[in-house]
Amino acid sequence: MNSVAAYRFVVCSSLFLGGLLSAKPLTLSLSQNSESVSPAPASSVLPSAGSQADPLPSLSALQARYKALSKQLSRLKPQEPYILVDTARNHLYLKQRDDVLLDALASTGSGTILPKPGGTTDQWVFDTPRGEFFVRSKLLNPAWVKPDWAFIEEGLEVPRNQADRVEQGVLGAYALGFGKGYFIHGTLYTRLLGKNVTHGCIRLNDDDLKRIYRVARIGTPIIIF
Amino acid sequence: MDPNDPASLQEVTRVLQEEVKLAARPHNYLLIDLVTRTIHIKGRGLDLYRIPIIAWSMKAPSAVHGTHRLIARPPIARRTVDPTVSVEQVPLSLADMPAAYTLSFTPALTIEVRPSDEEDLFRRLWAGTKNWWRSLNEWVSSFSRGESSDSNPYLLLELSREQAQSLAWSAIDEMPLVIRRATDKK
Repeated sequence: MNSVAAYRFVVCSSLFLGGLLSAKPLTLSLSQNSESVSPAPASSVLPSAGSQADPLPSLSALQARYKALSKQLSRLKPQEPYILVDTARNHLYLKQRDDVLLDALASTGSGTILPKPGGTTDQWVFDTPRGEFFVRSKLLNPAWVKPDWAFIEEGLEVPRNQADRVEQGVLGAYALGFGKGYFIHGTLYTRLLGKNVTHGCIRLNDDDLKRIYRVARIGTPIIIF
Repeated sequence: MDPNDPASLQEVTRVLQEEVKLAARPHNYLLIDLVTRTIHIKGRGLDLYRIPIIAWSMKAPSAVHGTHRLIARPPIARRTVDPTVSVEQVPLSLADMPAAYTLSFTPALTIEVRPSDEEDLFRRLWAGTKNWWRSLNEWVSSFSRGESSDSNPYLLLELSREQAQSLAWSAIDEMPLVIRRATDKK
């Protein structure tokens, strides 16, 4: 072992032992330097004005910039009512700015996977998509045109005739489509509201669905997280 | 925010500038505000959900610039539907999400999330050892390259168990992240 390697070994060994011995309860120490957690350790903050190498823009310029950007950000927010879906807690909200117009228990994607037939590695993932979408269609008394996975997951053969895929009365009285086959619709399984059980669609009870259907227009934003 | 503190105003303005770009797109993004100790899950500039930060510490905050994108998150054990089983299969839920995990971003940024109720001595020791081992590896590799080991930013967040799971649920691939750093003027 040469002298550099020996030096590294000694330093590493002492650091390792030191690290083990300094392992304290989280409530006492979080940082690697065993600094206090609250308030934030000095090593974790930025230098204050005047201590940075780069000069700061003038205060008035910064204030003007801040105001302009805040306005810009505010303009990007939906002004009309929008639908917000919390997939973790299975709630759908109808909101306008900060006001909650409706808080509804929902069911969203189960997160399960179903392998596609044919021995490939392809699979369906039953997630509710996240991000921003828009109401693209509003349907009255919708019929469910069952996709392939609906048959495969039940161990049934996929029908060749399109008419054999149509099922009436399972989606409730209304449906709001938001693209790629995803809908906000009703359910027969109201006992499962509040749980992640769907194939990606968002289910509501009849009353909440009716209210959403009445307020939403084509183009109403649907934000899902 | 103190509107008369240029350093704080500059930091807020930098974050706002990033947010304006992100809010113009139909994707959700994360904003970690170390000053107010809050993680914001946002979309279109709206606050979709807020997660309180119990404690945090950060290494190399000056290396945090612009928007980071999530490139690695904890694996989720998804259940596979078995068509031969007639029993209702258990779906994924928030409780299945991990509470202690690491999120990696590009440009280089590592966020380690720990639950505040991690009282088990062995878990704590394991977490401490892992943390220390990571630092050691960083130090050794930077030492051999003759570079500073503090170049890559690292953020340690302590959240309640439920909120740590909530963040794991909401963090999706490629999700953008902006961090509002703390200035030393309070």
